[in-house]
Amino acid sequence: MHLLRRRTELGLILVVVLITAGAYALAGLGKNSEMPANIGPFLGVILGLLVAAHIAVRKLAPNADGILLPLAALLNGVGYVFIVRLDEAQDEGGQLAGLQSLWTAVGIGAFILTLIVVRRTRDLERYRYTFAVIGILLLVLPLVPVIGRTINGSRIWISVGPVNFQPGEAAKIVLAIFFAGYLVEKRELLALSTFRLGPFHLPDPKYLGPVVLAWGASLVVMTLEKDLGSSLLFFVLFVVMLWVATGRTTYVTVGTSLFAMGALFAYTQFSHVQDRVEIWLDPWPVSKDEGFQVVEASFALADGGIAGTGIGLGTPTRIPEVETDFIFAAIGEELGLLGGTAILCAYILMVGAGLRIALRADSAFDTLLATGLTTLLGIQAFIIIGGVTRVLPLTGVTLPFVSYGGSSLVLNYVLLALVLRISDNSVKPATTTGGGAEVTAA
Amino acid sequence: MNRQIAKLGAVLLVCYLVLFAQLNRTTVFGAQRLKDNPENNREILRDYDGPRGSIATADGVVVARSAETDGDAQFERARAYPEADLFAHVVGHYSLNLGSTGVEDTYNAELVGRTLDLSFRDINDLFVDRDGVGDLTLTLRADAQRIARDTLGDRRGSVVAIDPRSGEILTMWSFPSYDPNLIADQDFATANDVFTFLNAAPDKPLLAKAYRERYFPGSTFKVVTATAGLESGDVTREQPVYPVASEYVPPQTTRPLRNFGGSSCGGDLFEVLRVSCNTAFAQMSVDLGPEAMIGTSEDFGFNAEPPIDLPGPAASNFPTDFDQNLPALAQAGIGQNDVAATPLQMALVAGAVANEGIVMTPRVLDTVRDDEGTVVEDPAPNDWRRAMGADNAAIMREAMINVAENGTARNLLIPGFEVGGKTGTAQLGTDPPRSHAWIIGFGGRPGEAPSVAVAVLVEGQEGASEQTGGRVAAPIARAVMEAILAAQGAG
Repeated sequence: MHLLRRRTELGLILVVVLITAGAYALAGLGKNSEMPANIGPFLGVILGLLVAAHIAVRKLAPNADGILLPLAALLNGVGYVFIVRLDEAQDEGGQLAGLQSLWTAVGIGAFILTLIVVRRTRDLERYRYTFAVIGILLLVLPLVPVIGRTINGSRIWISVGPVNFQPGEAAKIVLAIFFAGYLVEKRELLALSTFRLGPFHLPDPKYLGPVVLAWGASLVVMTLEKDLGSSLLFFVLFVVMLWVATGRTTYVTVGTSLFAMGALFAYTQFSHVQDRVEIWLDPWPVSKDEGFQVVEASFALADGGIAGTGIGLGTPTRIPEVETDFIFAAIGEELGLLGGTAILCAYILMVGAGLRIALRADSAFDTLLATGLTTLLGIQAFIIIGGVTRVLPLTGVTLPFVSYGGSSLVLNYVLLALVLRISDNSVKPATTTGGGAEVTAA
Repeated sequence: MNRQIAKLGAVLLVCYLVLFAQLNRTTVFGAQRLKDNPENNREILRDYDGPRGSIATADGVVVARSAETDGDAQFERARAYPEADLFAHVVGHYSLNLGSTGVEDTYNAELVGRTLDLSFRDINDLFVDRDGVGDLTLTLRADAQRIARDTLGDRRGSVVAIDPRSGEILTMWSFPSYDPNLIADQDFATANDVFTFLNAAPDKPLLAKAYRERYFPGSTFKVVTATAGLESGDVTREQPVYPVASEYVPPQTTRPLRNFGGSSCGGDLFEVLRVSCNTAFAQMSVDLGPEAMIGTSEDFGFNAEPPIDLPGPAASNFPTDFDQNLPALAQAGIGQNDVAATPLQMALVAGAVANEGIVMTPRVLDTVRDDEGTVVEDPAPNDWRRAMGADNAAIMREAMINVAENGTARNLLIPGFEVGGKTGTAQLGTDPPRSHAWIIGFGGRPGEAPSVAVAVLVEGQEGASEQTGGRVAAPIARAVMEAILAAQGAG
């Protein structure tokens, strides 16, 4: 029925493979003045991975949107090329590139697995409270002694054996599922105003419980785990979903005020929050210490100019954490305004596609879930690019699909699979089950 | 819900537009400010191992070039200075860890090919990667520079020669100098040690004293005082006639100001300049008053950094706060008190007299050529200051020729050329008597505008007589002028 979408997807994927392989070859030429020796195998592996993902969509979600997977693959491919390039330039490098290719394979595996396991989003809706519990557990897991790890000042890691993992990445998705289920159930009650507080018309206080709970959870993340970015992300996610579900602007106002109060409290109580804000406002007095990263990122972007220095020809490794939080600065330096804008366009196109899927979704749950997941992706990229370019105070989150990091990459592929699942559902003829597993691809 | 989703889309779009705007600001519109930030050394690092143009003198001697290093060296190229110390204070050095100075610093953009003229000649250059470096030709001449070095020898001092008509610097030498090859060495630890040693040396060999160090100008400053007199109208060729005296007591004090060796002198302007009469110029300065003296000094360029194309030029000083302290003004009129001038500034004083009163902007760059040899930059001569009117300049010129032909600057004379000058001996102390020996002057074909102006300073000479400048400094100035005049004639 929607074979056209699959053809579009395959065509775009081939373009992405060419762009990625071309960028990889350029990086080799820029760095060592010769073609990378393994360009053939490299081409084969990414082609294999992406075609596998494409075939999975063809079989498992044949009617799903056709541009999301290629966009994610483009971001993943560009990110991978930069990680290889940055890794080679580091003194003790050589580790990250191999791991990231492994994580990409795992991510695509997780993408396919999600499409296989989640055949109907209604199954997710049914287990919403289970997801709530899992989400809260994942959120506080890093605080558990023994397995919790503090890396770069944030206690957002757990270590089990040799594997380090950020459970917060999974918590985002799980909580988005819970919010969607909860809000579908309660949105009519939440939209009623039976209670006045000053200028605000609020619903019955007992329905406000979850709002306060989400606020509390995000404060816990901010203060105990010192993860400002995720804290902001959780709260924005919840407020946006609440607002979309109820249509009540009051929630945005109240939510923003609550968050502002929390942020102000954190600012006055915690030095790491103060540091971040002060560096954002004026990094120059501490440009050799705390502000070094942001200052170097600005210098890198300034070096980039319109067209960039060329991949492999800049000096982005001067920026600490350039493979993860600051990878956008490396892209801006070596691909310039044009490359940076291409990345921005990829995200805004993904946001557009995601919200379009939300608008066309079959059920209220699907609409809310697609909105929530899309918001997660769009806001997370906005928060970190904004931090790197000094639009916002720096809060360390990864750049979805681009940054180095297994947890983030794998779970963003899961997120993508869920959005594609919703998309696939929405274009099928409505059936009593709302699902359509019996409909096979033409 | 659909209305909210549409609004959400709009909000996210605005968020990304903000990012896009900021990205434009950082990478393009505000990029120069970030690149100019002193903490940003990315450009230095990137340029360091890239191709870099050569620097040659006006007479074709290469004084700086980049040479390819051996295969296993840390860097692809190394900077070499074939003339070693000869042009160190002009060309400077180019080092990764110790920074750059001189022409290597001011014309870095040209040398690496980052100016618009070099990097973007036509639209094809957007797509073609060229080694668009610029090769520099200096206005200085290696032959005259060598003569300055040889005649000054191992005496501390400076020699500056300019073309007064254009401001082109023809010679600029200071002793002691240093070998920039040692600073630019890619063995950074050794280079650092050498730098630390040179930096601590009492003679300050790293300092380009010719334009960055100030000295009492002594009697050479009387040219400025005389010009102030002419410009004010109070002094002419004939009037006033200063009384023959051995000392002058300025108002507000009983301490007399004496001539060298207690001799007596006096007379009209030409006479008092010829014998460098302290009492007459001290009185002239007091008679003219602070405003006229400050005004003319500043018209010559005092109290301002000369706009030379080298980093960190020192501003010469003439006091501006006499506060009716007339004894100080009397001393300032003969180049003492707080008057302090760079050798470059004193060459500009002689140049102004030679160039109808106009001080030209001093510069060391002649042309920039691209990799195909096409001239892409050829700075035109610029007026910097107007020190005096052309009529008064003609009088001063004649007066200085008189000093060379009949006065204290006889050692400056070059057969077949018209030469003018003024000596100076700035006393540093009396026990033992030591002084800076100065001469400023100009030379050219008879009846034509002078084509070279010089200032020579020999520091800390023993003795302190008015003859010192003429005896010690004048032969150096004459040798340098002679070489330049000969080269100009040949050219």
